[in-house]
Amino acid sequence: MASVTLSKLRKSYGRMDVIHGVDVEIADGEFVVLVGPSGCGKSTLLRMIAGLESITGGEVLIGDRVVNDLEPKDRDIAMVFQNYALYPHMTVAANMGFSLEHRGTPKAEIAKRVKWAAEILGLDEMLERYPRQLSGGQRQRVAMGRAIVRDPQVFLFDEPLSNLDAKLRVVMRGEIKSLHQRLKTTTVYVTHDQVEAMTMADKIVVLNGGRVEQIGAPLELYDRPANKFVAGFIGSPAMNFIPGQITASGFAADGALLPLPEAAHDLPPRPMLYGIRPEHFALTSEGLAATVELVEPMGSETQVTMRLGGTPVIGAFRERVRAEPGETIRVRPEIASVHLFDSDSGKRAN
Amino acid sequence: MSTVAANGTPAKERKVARKRPFWTMERRDSLAGYLFIAPQLAGIITFVLIPLGLVFWYSMHEWNVLGARFNYVGSRNYEQLLSDPALLEVLGATGIFSAGLVVFNLSLALLLAVLLDQKLKGITVYRTLFFSPVVVSLVAWTIVWRFLLQNNGGINSILLLTGVEGPNWLRNPTTAMISVIVVQVFKNVGLNMVLFLAALQGVPRELYEAARVDGAPRFKQFRRITLPMISPTILLTSIITIVGSLQVFAQIAVLTQGGPGMSTTVLVYYLYQQAFQFHRFGYGSTLSILLFVIVAVLTFVQWQMRRRLVFYER
Repeated sequence: MASVTLSKLRKSYGRMDVIHGVDVEIADGEFVVLVGPSGCGKSTLLRMIAGLESITGGEVLIGDRVVNDLEPKDRDIAMVFQNYALYPHMTVAANMGFSLEHRGTPKAEIAKRVKWAAEILGLDEMLERYPRQLSGGQRQRVAMGRAIVRDPQVFLFDEPLSNLDAKLRVVMRGEIKSLHQRLKTTTVYVTHDQVEAMTMADKIVVLNGGRVEQIGAPLELYDRPANKFVAGFIGSPAMNFIPGQITASGFAADGALLPLPEAAHDLPPRPMLYGIRPEHFALTSEGLAATVELVEPMGSETQVTMRLGGTPVIGAFRERVRAEPGETIRVRPEIASVHLFDSDSGKRAN
Repeated sequence: MSTVAANGTPAKERKVARKRPFWTMERRDSLAGYLFIAPQLAGIITFVLIPLGLVFWYSMHEWNVLGARFNYVGSRNYEQLLSDPALLEVLGATGIFSAGLVVFNLSLALLLAVLLDQKLKGITVYRTLFFSPVVVSLVAWTIVWRFLLQNNGGINSILLLTGVEGPNWLRNPTTAMISVIVVQVFKNVGLNMVLFLAALQGVPRELYEAARVDGAPRFKQFRRITLPMISPTILLTSIITIVGSLQVFAQIAVLTQGGPGMSTTVLVYYLYQQAFQFHRFGYGSTLSILLFVIVAVLTFVQWQMRRRLVFYER
């Protein structure tokens, strides 16, 4: 196991810069998730760590070794690809033992290591099968098995669950997490799914347009997003943003006066965005009037799309809301969970 | 006692009403299927099965067009085939030609495909260049090569410039066979090259990336990933090339006329000699049947070997 350091890492394709000087410190044994929307550069960053993409500028360190110019095989990493990249003409056992063959590992040792990995992943009955004879989840496990037999210093996962159905994704998410807890190998995991990021990571790196927006523990990102992008990306349904201005009596939005936390009253009056997560609205009898537009019962909660003054917002309530579209309900934002962002820069203001 | 339905209709009448129409959906679908395959079926019957039957029928006759003889001789042509002193030599030449062609053609086609499977500037020009002989007229191509391979032809003239005296390519048994193979390979290698190129481009790039992470060197990537992944195309090209090599005629007729001696007299050329030069159509038909059996057996063997050759058949 080893730490991974990305220092001022840059990547360009011709004149187009796709990674703009990224700095990330990943501690030994840590599970770090790179998350961001499509095209934000998260997979490129992972491939640069793997050695599958050249590095335009900056450094990648695995342990205390600069690995910029090392071939992937010499970096002591193992990677799980989005489409698993299993060799379709090889059995599960051959797939898992392939990397060991090239390291001069004796056959008996390869068989022993493959058996060990197969037992961990529940693949011991499938070693002689071909990938086409496996389900999506089993293939995913083989891809993980191929990675763990090598006992690498770093695991790299490139959106490994994106091809699985929703139910299996939840199962595999748990398996990957428990595998990490068992092996304690440093892991860098790429996903665009913020739920995966929140549930699996020790630390999340939020990327946008080839830049790091924020690095932190999952709940830190949820509770104190550094900017509007992170606030909108982390959490589902996404945070509501209500444009307006701070006044002495509260936050003046279009047709509504929203309550502010005590400390926010000291902020200079300027255009701001009032951020409130859907789950931080409460149904009350004396709150703000909101006109219901859509009610979506989810079972565990009810999501209500409503108009607060002139701004459409979403509220998520534990109660079963039985309002009809056009009806007025009263809601109150939890003052402690209000986030304020600068309208121009999008940076957190409170 | 007659039964009456809830709506008052007697049960017998209801039975009549339920009778299935002749043109059920299943029958209509079947008819559409048969109509779709009918043109192809008619073509196969007219141009494959009937001629095959006729050739088999002719092979049991002594048929001399000039002598206007068409006599039933039963299995005599087949007996003659087994005792034909030239046949072993002909089959030997055919075997050497086929083996040389298949090995040389497939190896060169794969090598070219690997070289041309690069993202380089102007790569399409190179691909077109190597493919272009395929669309050139076979006879024109062979005539040009005959001039090049003559004793005082282009190739020997170039060799002379480097101080080497070239052989009389088409008049020496060994070089004649090599020449015929090379001319045929250069003519058709582009076709297999394109097929290999398509197969190479179909191998997911992620497999090579996984192999790089796994530490497999380039040659091992080719042997352990590329070759198995393109094995269906290797099987296809080898079947096409073997069948094509057994049917070679024009190149031999233009370049060597089967000579020197019988060194390049392959089965189809021998068949042509028997039927059209010696007017022995019956015996020529027997040789056609032999060719059919050889092609059928080889194709069957190759098809059976697909379990070992083609990864997805395992």
